[in-house]
Order: sequence, then C-alpha cells, then structure tokens
Amino acid sequence: MGTPAGFLRCDSVSKSFDGRVAVDAVSFEMGRGEVYGLLGPNGAGKTTTIKMVCGLIEPDGGAITVDGRSSRDLAARSLVGYVPQEVALYPDLTAAENLSFFCRLYGLRGRVADERVREALELTDLADRRDDRVDAFSGGMKRRLNIAAGLLHHPALLVLDEPTVGVDPQSRHAILERVGAFKRAGMAVLYTTHYMEEAERVCDRVGIVDHGKMIAEGTRRELVAQLGEKDTIDLSAVGNLEELAHTLRGVPGVEQAAVADGRIHLLTSDGRSVLPLLIEAAGRLQVEISSVDISEANLEAVFLHLTGTALRE
Amino acid sequence: MRAALVIARKDLRQRVRDRSAIILGLVAPVAIAALMSLAFNGADTFHFTLGLVDQDHGPVATALRQNLELPALRRIVTLKVLDSEAQAREEVRSQRVAAALVIPPGFSAAATSSASSALHTLSSVNNTIAADVSRSIASSFVAQINADRLSVATAIASGSPTSRAAVLAAAATDLRIPEQLVQRPLGAHPVKVVSYYAPAMAILFLFFTISFSSRSFFAERAQGLIERLRAAPVHPAEILLGKVLSVFVFGVASLGMVWLVTAAAFGADWGAPAAAGLVCASLVVATVCLTALVIGLARTQRQAEGIASAVVFILALVGGNFVFISTAPSVMRRLALFTPNGWALRAFTDLSTTGGGLHTVAVPVLAILAFSGVVGAAAVRLAYRAVTA
Repeated sequence: MGTPAGFLRCDSVSKSFDGRVAVDAVSFEMGRGEVYGLLGPNGAGKTTTIKMVCGLIEPDGGAITVDGRSSRDLAARSLVGYVPQEVALYPDLTAAENLSFFCRLYGLRGRVADERVREALELTDLADRRDDRVDAFSGGMKRRLNIAAGLLHHPALLVLDEPTVGVDPQSRHAILERVGAFKRAGMAVLYTTHYMEEAERVCDRVGIVDHGKMIAEGTRRELVAQLGEKDTIDLSAVGNLEELAHTLRGVPGVEQAAVADGRIHLLTSDGRSVLPLLIEAAGRLQVEISSVDISEANLEAVFLHLTGTALRE
Repeated sequence: MRAALVIARKDLRQRVRDRSAIILGLVAPVAIAALMSLAFNGADTFHFTLGLVDQDHGPVATALRQNLELPALRRIVTLKVLDSEAQAREEVRSQRVAAALVIPPGFSAAATSSASSALHTLSSVNNTIAADVSRSIASSFVAQINADRLSVATAIASGSPTSRAAVLAAAATDLRIPEQLVQRPLGAHPVKVVSYYAPAMAILFLFFTISFSSRSFFAERAQGLIERLRAAPVHPAEILLGKVLSVFVFGVASLGMVWLVTAAAFGADWGAPAAAGLVCASLVVATVCLTALVIGLARTQRQAEGIASAVVFILALVGGNFVFISTAPSVMRRLALFTPNGWALRAFTDLSTTGGGLHTVAVPVLAILAFSGVVGAAAVRLAYRAVTA
C-alpha cells in the first residue's frame, strides 16, 4: 500500500455554482502506487472535486497540486490521465483512431504512438476490435476503451470518475482488476464511486464525502473502527418502508435506519438481539419482510453512522 | 498550434466520413446550381416558333413574311406558315407554336388606302413572352407601314402629284425607321445564369457549414469530448483554433470543388483564378467567424441549430443567393452590401462580366474581411467561453 506522500495534494478546496456549495473545504492527499477512493452518494461533490484535480474547473478557494505543480498548469495535466464518468469517445471513429488521436494530443507520434495504442487496446482486451467503429461497441467495451484513452500517455495519476456505472458484471470485474494492476505498476489512482463494495475492494484509503464535505477519511479498517463493535442489518420488505424505518429508529439497539433502493439499512449495536424487535415492529405495521441480512459494519455502515442516510439514498 | 492541427485533422476526417457533410458541401451546391441554371437558361437566348396565317396574299403581307424571315429575326423566331386561323388556334393551344400572327384579307389594300385594318395575334397564357414578342413584331411592322403612309401623305400635302403616290410609297418602304435601341452589357460579357448561380449556391451551402460545425461542437460538448480535450495539456485557444481550422479547410475545399465542377461541367465563369480564389478565401474567413459567433451565442445544440439557420437564411436572402441581386429593388441592393455573400456575389459577377483581376475584387475582399473582423472580434471571446464552460 502506498503512503500519502503528497503526489496529489488537495488543500481546503472549495467550489460553488450560482451560490450553491458543491465542494466545501475538501482536503486530502495521496501518493504514487496508491488507490484513493472518493466515496459518496450522487451529488456529493465527487465529480466537481476530480474536475478541479484535472484542471477543468478552477477552485474558488484552496489549492490543488500534482507533483508540486498547480493542477491548472498544462505541465501538471500531462501527468494526469482523466477518465470521465460518461463515455467520451468519437463514435464515428474506430477504436484505434480514437486512441491515436488522444496520443497525438499528448504529443505522442509515430512508432511510440502506435505502440501505446496497441498496448492500451491489449490492456483493455480490445485488440481484436481496433478497427471497428466505437458506435458498434457494447456499453462495457466503450467503458474499457474510455479507460484506455486515459492511459495512453502513461499518466502518473489516473483519475477514474465512476468507471463502472452502467456496465455489466463481467466488464465491472475487468475494470476493477485493471485498477489493481495500475496500482501495482506504481500509478496513483483517484477513484470516485458510490458503490461501497468497489471502494472496499480496490481502494487503499477512502475519503467519504457528503454535501460537498469530506466527513471521514482513512483505510477501510480505520473507518469501520470508528463504529466499534456494530452490525448492519439490511431488510427487504413489502409495505410502508419509511414508516417502518421511522418506527425502528425508536427500537433499543438501533442507532440509524435509512431507506434506499427499496431496502431498509440499519446500524445496530447488536444485530442478533435487535432482530426479534424488528420483526415484531414490522408485523405491527403490516410490513412483510422478505429477507434479512446481518453483517459486520462496513463502509456503508460508516456512511449511515456519519450522515444518518444510506449511501445510495 | 500542434494540438490545433491534430484537432483539425480529426474533425476533417470525421467530416469526410459524414455523408451529409459531403452532400451539403459538394453534391447539393453543384446539383442546385445546375438546376437553377437549367431553370433560368434561355432567359438571355430566347427563341420561339411563330405561326403565320396569310389570308391577304397581297404585297404588304408578303413583305411582312419576308421581314419575319430576315436573318436578324432568325435567332429569335422560326416561322411556320399555317393555312387558317382555326389551324393557328389549334397549333397555339397544343403549344406546337408559341404564338400566331393572322394577316386578315384586305390588309395590303388597306395599307395603300385610307381604310384601316388590323393584324391579329393569337397567344396562350402558357407562353406570355412569345406573345409579347409577337405583339412587338406586329406593332413594329404596323408602325413602319403607318410611317410609310404618313410619309406619302406628307409628300402629297407638300405638292407632290398624287400620280407619284406609288413611287413615293415604294421609296418610303425602302427607308426603315432609322433610330434603333440596342442593348449592350456594361462589361465585356453579359452575365451567364450559371456564372451567377454556381457561386451563389456554393456560398449558400458553404454557410450551411456554420450550422453543421456549431452543432457538432455542441454534440461533442454534450458527450464530454470537449472536456476531455481540455483535460489534456492543451490550451483552450488551441481547441478553438483546431475547430475553426477544420471549418476553414472544409469551406475552401467545398468552394473549390463546386468551382471546378460547375466550371468544367456547366461552363460557369468564376473569373480569374487568383481573384476568385481570394474572394473564396475571404468568404471562408467570414464563415469561420460566423461559426465561432454561433458557438459563442448558443448554449445548446438546439440553440446552435436555430441561430445558425436564422443567420444562413437572412444572409442568403439579403445577400442575393436566391435571386439576381441586380434585379432587386435598390434598398435590397444596398442591404446586400452589409453581407459578405452580397459582396462576394458582386465580386464574382464583376469578374465574369469584365474579365477583371485582383484589382476588381479588392474592394469586395476588403469589405468581406471588415465584416469578418467585426464578427470575429465579438465571436472569439464568446466562443472561448463556450470551450471553457
């Protein structure tokens, strides 16, 4: 695992749009060979933060440096590989033409550019589709090519903005595998996601953001340790879930209860002792429980603990 | 600059692959210029078949027939002698002749006496120009006869014996009406229809590049591609320059191709190559500036489409791309001089009619560049903001 050697340094960075605060004094730093995750729900300020890291948006306050240079400097940008959330490729060009174009933008030409295109296509398992137009690709293939376009110039810092949104499980697995490979190759990877599982799987350290603020930061173990010995309970049920969640908040041992994705997420001091009370409350409210999962606390529970809301609420 | 060239090259590659761009840039202007030339062709070389019914068979009727067969009229009229007025009506109705002239019985006798007689013209609403020309020929002939009669009457009134009336009449017939009206163009050559509409259509479709390019810019922005370009070590000005450069190259290529095809296939005269090339280049600069302005003013792809369409059609209507601006009211001719296409069409018309060179297009080119300067100054700042938004 890398250490926060300050290769990327965000120091009290803020940004507002039309008076609405999108990022509020966010600070973090990361080193080479480290995967740093920005975990938070949609609209938390993750994308705005990484756009400032990539020099696309000028912060209202604070400073961002990449290897000691301001992120707004062109020199800093050549160190960064940006992979946007939406697929940003030319649909009427082939995979190779897209990559070749981005190579040239970064000043790569001739054999070097050809070699980088070949390398990126092989890395993303698209070598056999190099001469196919992008608009003929599946969503997962486009995502992989989208990542390939950010790798061509061998960036020291790779910024991945929700790279697995809307992809099939196979492509998702492939992308997460690649992130591990980038880290092993010594690359710093800044990874935004609202999927707790992804953050837990690929990130060395995680910064949890909500409403533009960094509300917690650390390794998974450090963050979960904040909760002490707690359990999470996920209830799948049919009925008035909001009313049930409200009722459960008053049940002894239940610390937080939130509804998201048609489920109730609970943070409890002891899941097994609380469970009968939950079932009783559901019965009273005529809510039919279809499944119950009890597990040790995870990043989702940390988020619930810190904000009182579920990550995907 | 390197990045600008890379972006321009990529844009051009996409443009060449896009069939609609090829259709708009080359096929459509050539096709429409050809169609308009066909539609208006003949306006300057009018010719028709005139039916003639001689019910008189006298000397004056013979003279009229000989007049109609004179070499001077052969370029305009082909004479077809018909047997009766009924046949003439049928021929006109079936458009086998464009119009017919009926010489009534006693026409010659009336010409040499104090009696009156009239030539009849038969015409159809389907061929009003032929009808007008037929009436004009008949009027001209009747005017000549009346002039002859007046000459004889004047001579007799002045003391010539009436016994010499026939001799006087013969002498008067030999004297044609001396004053004539001859129409000559100001330049060395009259303007050919295709020489006007080839550049007019090329310019119109060049202007469609404004819509096409601004739309593609906003499409790229919506797809996050502009943002991705900005994440590279590329200055926003280079992105803008790259976009503009591709518009310039495509515009020059489009105008050049239409020029070559219309000149080779339809005989369009664009004028001296160096001068015409300069006009084309300055016009493409104006198009580039207008494209940047639309990109700067619009916020979305839909807005870009709307603004670009308005700009294109206003310029085309005011500048004279749809009609000969020289035939428009004077206020329209003045307004045309506020448009780059108006100046360009004026330059192309001058080049093809006077055979002039660079000096002929100096003022139009400067006017187009002045227009570009004004539009460009406003556009650059706005378009830069659109790139960095």
